[in-house]
Amino acid sequence: MSGQALASLLPLPVALPIAGAVAAPLLARLVHRRLAVIAGLVALGGAALILLLQAPSVFGGLVRAHYLGLWTPVHGRALGIAFAADPFGLIFALTSAFIGAVLLLYTLSELGGLGPRELGGYACLFQLLVAALIGAALTADLFNLFVWFEVAALASYGLTAFLLERPVALEAGFKILALTTLASFAVFIGAGLLYATAGALNYAQLHDALARHLTTPDLIALGLLVAGFATKAGLVPFHGWLADVHTATSGPVSALFSGLMYAFGIVAVARLAFQVFAVNGIPVLGLLLTVGVVSALLGAIMALAQDDLKRLLAYDTISQMGILAIGLGTGAAPGIAGAVYHLVNHALFKALLFLCAGAILHRTGLTKLSDMGGLARRMPVVAVAFVIGAASIAGIPPLNGYVSLSLIHTGLLDGQQYLPFTLMQVAQVITIAALGKAAWLAFFRPRAGDYPPLESLRPGMVAGLASLAGCCVVFGVLPQFFLDSVMAPAAAGLLHPARYASGVLTGLARLPKLHVPFDYLSPEELGLVVACAVAGAALGWAYVRVREPAPVRLLRAAHTGSVNDYATYAVAGMLAVIAVLTLT
Amino acid sequence: MILVNYLAAVALFGTGLYVLVTRRNLIKIVMGLSLMEASTYLFMVSLAYRAGSTAPVLLSPPAGKTAKQLAHGNVADPVLQNFCLTAVVIGVAVTAVFLSVAVRVAQHYRTLDADRMRTMRG
Repeated sequence: MSGQALASLLPLPVALPIAGAVAAPLLARLVHRRLAVIAGLVALGGAALILLLQAPSVFGGLVRAHYLGLWTPVHGRALGIAFAADPFGLIFALTSAFIGAVLLLYTLSELGGLGPRELGGYACLFQLLVAALIGAALTADLFNLFVWFEVAALASYGLTAFLLERPVALEAGFKILALTTLASFAVFIGAGLLYATAGALNYAQLHDALARHLTTPDLIALGLLVAGFATKAGLVPFHGWLADVHTATSGPVSALFSGLMYAFGIVAVARLAFQVFAVNGIPVLGLLLTVGVVSALLGAIMALAQDDLKRLLAYDTISQMGILAIGLGTGAAPGIAGAVYHLVNHALFKALLFLCAGAILHRTGLTKLSDMGGLARRMPVVAVAFVIGAASIAGIPPLNGYVSLSLIHTGLLDGQQYLPFTLMQVAQVITIAALGKAAWLAFFRPRAGDYPPLESLRPGMVAGLASLAGCCVVFGVLPQFFLDSVMAPAAAGLLHPARYASGVLTGLARLPKLHVPFDYLSPEELGLVVACAVAGAALGWAYVRVREPAPVRLLRAAHTGSVNDYATYAVAGMLAVIAVLTLT
Repeated sequence: MILVNYLAAVALFGTGLYVLVTRRNLIKIVMGLSLMEASTYLFMVSLAYRAGSTAPVLLSPPAGKTAKQLAHGNVADPVLQNFCLTAVVIGVAVTAVFLSVAVRVAQHYRTLDADRMRTMRG
């Protein structure tokens, strides 16, 4: 297929799920309720197929752009909305489409018994959210990004408050509404301010204009945008709503949120930091590094302190988003490639873990780890899947976490960032302790009373768990292949913003080749993994036996559950981000 | 004087933020967020303003103006006004979701106090 034809297909991966979303409630009510989800599977499969068609050339280092309505740029000025496929956006779009489809299949199997109204609405919101994620990955227009932000936000409100008979769903719904609305104002004002000073919305034009002339209002706009998207990503201190949302939602929705939706925020921040504000001297990478380290540490500590399995995983998500921010904050090729790798890995293993937690909740009705135990014998498939997911996060070879974490380590050490490196290891030890604790308490610890007979897993659920766990292994054993063919081109796109900009404006550009070496058997890395695993196991063993330490109790007390307090933290964080960017 | 607009926008935004941070009544929180939203519209429309400009309706130039004058920017910026239109539509949807959640909360918890609706914490 010619390049032009390929480019003109770019809006379809977004249009298909939106069409599926519109059709879902009608199909569910008029034909058959399960047809709504099946149509969703077809739509997401079609989207994935079209994205795969783009893959060979784009991952080969091309940036390809299409202007909606063929409003192409005139004399380098764009009025139309650009959709551009670069390796970084394409890998996120592909991940979203594929994991979205796997999660829909799982839903069909687990929640297929819902009524037509519920299942139709669910399939509609689910597809809208995935469409927004693909749109955000492909768009090269700041206002369009805001629109996808809002589409994702509206869909996430609906999915959070979906199980209306559970009051916690309402509570969580109100919190995510308030915090995300606040974030949307920040993004909105930021985009408007940037347009007013730089005179463009297209990433490429913005990049050129900002490289020529950078003013204080531009930096304020950057601060607002970063704060807004950090709220979506759940980075500290914008994270108040995140754990509550996961307590209230079902397994597949949690998996969708945690695996994909929060990464939206990271993708947007990466685009802004590398491809729009590609100006030397802005402390945005240092800011990312700081926020990342704080998120990684605080998320890990809070995860260790949780007794609710889904809250534990939710706080660990905050920690992992922090790791992504650290990888981007290194500003070096191995670190950025590692962050992109980790983004895909996190989508895989966190979706897997949340599906496991959802399956346990669905079958036993238990949410608290202290009530569980001995599940390895009763639910062996779930136990194997959970252990694979937890070991991936722990970075144990040959699973995928090992590769991405060592790349981020390389990025940090190459840049002589020893303090962030050390703190990241501390966070990693605590993370291993938290997940080890969860696995032990839920699956392997002997339990006094036996469970009532448990419903067995359905084929669709097993397929979902198996495909995600299989991908965790595949991404772990073929690191150099994925690095050379996907992650290194993505890092090249972020590190060469001028090429990306010319691709967006002219419709086609080639990114320079970038080689990121990876030594699987590096003795330092392997030693680090063993040390972290031993320390983590010891910490987890000790933690379940002692009373909660005072600092942890203080941290937990700061998470008051009040929407006012969480909004205050977010506003304070927003002001701090703007202050750092404008005053230094 | 356009400065008045900016000051009004900042004052509105600040009022809304104050309400969001200090009031515990869910309806008041929604009202605070609506105030902040309105202030962003005022801010955008003020950013679009240019001295002596006309509305950005480019069918034919108004009396006494040539098409060239319009092309040289003697209209208010239509892009920022489009921002507002889009955001108004989104804002209506968000407010509707907000209020429906608030109604459900009132039915379930028999209160609108955000402080009595924090079973999840820590």
